[in-house]
Amino acid sequence: MPQLFLPPDSEGLAPALRGFARAHEAHVVLSEDPVYFTARDRSPVRRVALVSGGGSGHEPLHAGFLGPGLLDAVAPGEVFASPHNRQVYEASRAVALDGGVLHIVKNYTGDKINFGIAAERLRADGIRVGRVLVHDDVATESDETATGRRGTGATVLVEKILGAAADRGADLDELVALGDALAARVRSVAVASESLTSVHTGERIFELADGDLEYGVGIHGERAATTMPYTDLRTLVARMLDDVMASLGSLSGDALVLVNGLGSASPLELYAVFDALARQLDDRGIAIGASLVGTLVSALDMHGFSITVLDVADPAWWELWRAGADAPAWKETNR
Amino acid sequence: MTDLDAFARASLDGYLALVREHESTLTALDEQSGDGDFGHNLSHGLERAASRAAGAPDSEVWRSLATAFLDEVGGTSGPLFGLLFQAIARAADHASTPAEAIGNGSRDGLAAVQRVGEAQVGDRTLVDALQPAVDALAAEGDLDSAADAACRGAADSARLRARMGRASYVGERAVGHPDPGAVGIAMLFVACAQATGSEPPGAFGELTGSR
Repeated sequence: MPQLFLPPDSEGLAPALRGFARAHEAHVVLSEDPVYFTARDRSPVRRVALVSGGGSGHEPLHAGFLGPGLLDAVAPGEVFASPHNRQVYEASRAVALDGGVLHIVKNYTGDKINFGIAAERLRADGIRVGRVLVHDDVATESDETATGRRGTGATVLVEKILGAAADRGADLDELVALGDALAARVRSVAVASESLTSVHTGERIFELADGDLEYGVGIHGERAATTMPYTDLRTLVARMLDDVMASLGSLSGDALVLVNGLGSASPLELYAVFDALARQLDDRGIAIGASLVGTLVSALDMHGFSITVLDVADPAWWELWRAGADAPAWKETNR
Repeated sequence: MTDLDAFARASLDGYLALVREHESTLTALDEQSGDGDFGHNLSHGLERAASRAAGAPDSEVWRSLATAFLDEVGGTSGPLFGLLFQAIARAADHASTPAEAIGNGSRDGLAAVQRVGEAQVGDRTLVDALQPAVDALAAEGDLDSAADAACRGAADSARLRARMGRASYVGERAVGHPDPGAVGIAMLFVACAQATGSEPPGAFGELTGSR
C-alpha cells in the first residue's frame, strides 16, 4: 500500500484546504465556517457569479479554477461527498451579483440535492439562481435508470467557456442556455489500471489482476461495469473514442479534446494517450480545434485517464475557449 | 402571543415529543433501507430547533425549525425537511388560522422538495406522506384530515419499491416497511393536529405499531 502524505483522519480536509489557500493566496480566499473558497478578483463586466463545487479528491477541480475568466466561488465537500447545502448557500451569497448566481453541478444525486436546496434558499432571499448540469460519462448512459450520465472531465471545459461568457456580460438565461448546449455536446469515458487509495483506510478500493483494466471507471473509486485485459494503447483509445462518438453522434463543428489524468498517470503517459487519440481523430476525419492534456479532474491517486470530446457546434465557443483566464490550475498555454 | 404563534410552539413541542417517543422505530425503519441515521437526524434537528426557538420571538418558531434543519442537519432528507419548514414559516406570516398556515406552507414546501429532489408519489420517499396531506388540506381544509392522509400515505409506502433516494440501492429488501422519511412527515402532521386539540388518527397507531 502506498503511504499517503495526509494528516490523521481526525483533522479531515482542513490542512489541505489551508495549504491550497496559502499556496494561491493571490487568487483565492478560504472561509472556514462554513467552508468555501472565493476568488479575489473578477471582471467588472460580469453580471452573474459562477459557483461550483462537489466532493474533494478531484483536485485541481474545482478550486483550481477560481479566478478571472473562470469561477467566483467553490464549495468543497469532504472526500467524494457532496458539500452541505449551507456551504453552497453561503458561498453563493458571498459572490452573488445583481444578475444572480449560476451553479455548475456535476450530475450526482447528492450534489444535485444540496445545490438544489441552496438554490431554494437563495431564491427565498431574492437572489436569481440558474443551474447547469454536467453529465458527460458515457459509461453510465442507460435507458434503465433515472439518474443519467455522471459528470466528470467535461466540467473543466464547461466552466472555462461559461466563465468567458460571463465575463462578456451574459445574463443568467443566456448562461444557462449556453451551459445546457455545451453539456448536450460533450462526452467522456475513463479507464484505470489501478484503484485509488482510500484516504480513510489507506487501502486500495479494488484490486485488479496484472494486465487488467477497469473500463468505464468512475472518479470516486467506484468500479466499472467492465473489467478487460489491456492489449495496447491504440486499441484501447480506439474503443474509448468509439464509445464517446456513439453517444455524441456526428459532429457539427471541430472537436475540443481533453486527455485527463485521474491522479497518478504520468504526463508522459498522458501525451502518449493524446498522440493515440489525435491519430484516431485524424483517421476519422475529425479536426481538432484545440486540446488540453493534464491532470485536471483527478480521482485521488487512481492510475488511469479519461478522454473527453466536445463538439464545438457553435464557432463562437472557440472565442470563449481562447479568452484569457487566470486561476491556480489554468495555464494560458492550455488554449 | 397570537393563536398562530401558540400553535407553532405547541406543534414543535409535540413533534419533538413524538419523534423522541418513536425514534427507535424510525431508526429501525431506516436500517431496512438506508444507513440508519434518520431517526437521530430528525430528533437532533428538532432539539436544535427547540433550543433556537427557546430564545427567539414567538413569531420565529417555524423559522427556527427551518434554519436548524437547513444549517445543522446532515444527510439529504434533513435539509429537505428544512425546505418544508421554510415554506411553512413564510405562509404563517400571512395566514389567519393554523390550517391555512400549514395548508399553504406544505403546498409550497412540497413544490420546493419536488423541485430539488424530483420525487413523485410512489417513489417511496417523504413525498408519499406529504402529497396526500397537501391534497387533504386543499380538499377538506382541516388538520385532522391532513394527519390522517399523511399517516395513510406513509403506511402505503411499505408496499413500494424505491426508485429515488438511498433506498433505491437496496431494491426489494425495503419492501414491507414504510419509508422512514414519510413516517417522519406523518408525525409532523399528527403533531400539528394535536396542537389544535385533536387526538392522533387511528392510522397513526398502525404506523408506529406496525413493527
